[in-house]
Amino acid sequence: MGTISRGLRNAFRNSIRTLSITLILGLSIAMSIVMFLSLKAVGAKIDNVKSSIGNTVTVSPAGIRGFEGGGEALTNSDATTLVSISGVTKVTSAISDHLNSSNTNLIPSMDAGSFGRRQQQEERNGQSTSNQGREIPVGLSMPVMVIGTNDLSVTSNLNVEKLDVSGQTIDANSSDLVAIVGSDLATKNNLTVGSTFKAYGKDVKVSGIFDGGNKFANASFIMPIKTLQTLSGQADQVTSLIVQVNSIDKISAVESSIKEKLGSRADVVSSEDSSKDALAPLQSIKSISLYGLIGSLVAGSIIILLSMVMIVRERRREIGVLKAIGSSNLKIMAQFVVEALSLTFLSSLLGIVLGFALSNPVLKVLINNSSNSSAKTPGEGAMAQHGAMMRFAANGINSAGNALRDLHAVLNYQIILYGLFAAILIAIIGSAIPAYFVAKIRPAEVMRSE
Amino acid sequence: MSLNVPDGVFSTIVGKSGSGKSTLLSLLGALDKPTSGSIDVDGRNITKLSDRKLIQYRCNKIGFVFQNYNLIPNLSAIENVMLPMEFAGMNKYDRLSRANKLLKQVGLDELKQNRRPGKLSGGEQQRVAIARALANKPNFILADEPTGNLDSITGKIIIELLQKLAHSENTTIIAVTHDEGIAKKSQLTFRLKDGKMIAN
Repeated sequence: MGTISRGLRNAFRNSIRTLSITLILGLSIAMSIVMFLSLKAVGAKIDNVKSSIGNTVTVSPAGIRGFEGGGEALTNSDATTLVSISGVTKVTSAISDHLNSSNTNLIPSMDAGSFGRRQQQEERNGQSTSNQGREIPVGLSMPVMVIGTNDLSVTSNLNVEKLDVSGQTIDANSSDLVAIVGSDLATKNNLTVGSTFKAYGKDVKVSGIFDGGNKFANASFIMPIKTLQTLSGQADQVTSLIVQVNSIDKISAVESSIKEKLGSRADVVSSEDSSKDALAPLQSIKSISLYGLIGSLVAGSIIILLSMVMIVRERRREIGVLKAIGSSNLKIMAQFVVEALSLTFLSSLLGIVLGFALSNPVLKVLINNSSNSSAKTPGEGAMAQHGAMMRFAANGINSAGNALRDLHAVLNYQIILYGLFAAILIAIIGSAIPAYFVAKIRPAEVMRSE
Repeated sequence: MSLNVPDGVFSTIVGKSGSGKSTLLSLLGALDKPTSGSIDVDGRNITKLSDRKLIQYRCNKIGFVFQNYNLIPNLSAIENVMLPMEFAGMNKYDRLSRANKLLKQVGLDELKQNRRPGKLSGGEQQRVAIARALANKPNFILADEPTGNLDSITGKIIIELLQKLAHSENTTIIAVTHDEGIAKKSQLTFRLKDGKMIAN
């Protein structure tokens, strides 16, 4: 029988008390694990959202959105100018064009539908007023869209949700006559990897077929920007620039530098404000989790503290006996610390199990509350207002909205270690004050008759 | 005041309730510190001892027997007896064999040695307490109303046991009591009256 085994045995001396302390403390440890997990999950998601949407600035020629509007396009040298701005890590250029039966043998995969017919009608009306009121035949074919880019990894330029390429992708910096073709367009034209089609009077080789995740993208094809600039006679022209900034904090500075350098020639839109909106619910979950974590750790410490104070007060006489028969204060304190440690260890085992079980449901509740408080998904408005080429802005921001639904708490050995560490911390805090009481008890306490 | 008790003698202190018998005992056993004055035991002033020396004094020089036994309830009889030896730093094997020997000496067979105090009668518990007091071969055993919670027959047996042990272990036993019958059986009786000691 040593100090340790006495402490251990004392922990189980009163089974009802042991059970209740374990249950309450276990719940508080489980709570702290849940909060820690959600703090981590949300923190990771915030970083993720920040890195995916938070750090881009979109530059378009003033007045131009894709094929709409009017004005002068930007140039390759503008892109070079932007790269030199401090904080800018990458500038991706894009240009687009429409092809029709006069300059390609591709058959469009999209039907015009009523929307397409109206657009075509407007175009014709613009060409000749004498056509006004003329009936547009049903089944009129749509143009085929082509996008040129110098970086396929920046998909926000390409109207795609994702870019799954089967076959070979293209070298976006080359001037080769190659393309990756949207899956619908490829099917419509019986194109496979390696086959060719005609565009601008040249033979273009199909390097790969891609799925862009939407019908609009899958009806188009993508080429290296230099190739498209040459073929379409838009040499040196750029209609969209995506500027990536190394930190979300530098976005406003970069945005104003761009405005300064390009002046009224460009419209500059940054994702900063909308990403802040998107991050707000995540930030609120993060602070709830942090307060929850601190609260549950404090609660845990108080539970074990009060239990130990109660136990020490109850055993005053026994402590007096131990002192009277020659025990040192230190040995008695150690015995109580062992007792507190065993109770917290047991509770932390329960807490870890409960934490495993509760983390995802609790995270779900937190998310539901937060999504309700910011019911309007940021970006929806922007999507409605702008044309096709502006989809990317909304895409990024939607992904922040989705971020809430994608949150998952992940448990691993680190969390278990954390739980045990928290338990030891709680036990030490919880037995410090009782240990002081132990030291204060006089051995003569034993002489008191009850 | 001064008490002079030869080695191996069973002595008693008698007096009315509140006369200060128990206080005297706890001062002698260094359980409490006097507010003023000094206590010399075996020519050593125990009021001047450091905390560490006091622990050693309580551990090695003094054995206590209490009115309500004060055994640790979740330890078995033999574990209770082993406790002071553990504090004195004796190894486990020696502790076990000495505790066994002591318990046999006070008349507790091996079956009962592994019982917890709750499963023992009052007399048996007091025997265990006496064995525990003897564990570290103390110079003094201080007993506070050792028969106070026992019936007269069992009380008599316990007193006889204490007398026998005082002789066989050569330990000085000072018992506090208000029972004149016990006082008569002791070799030396001190009377405490109005804070003054009168030797018989």
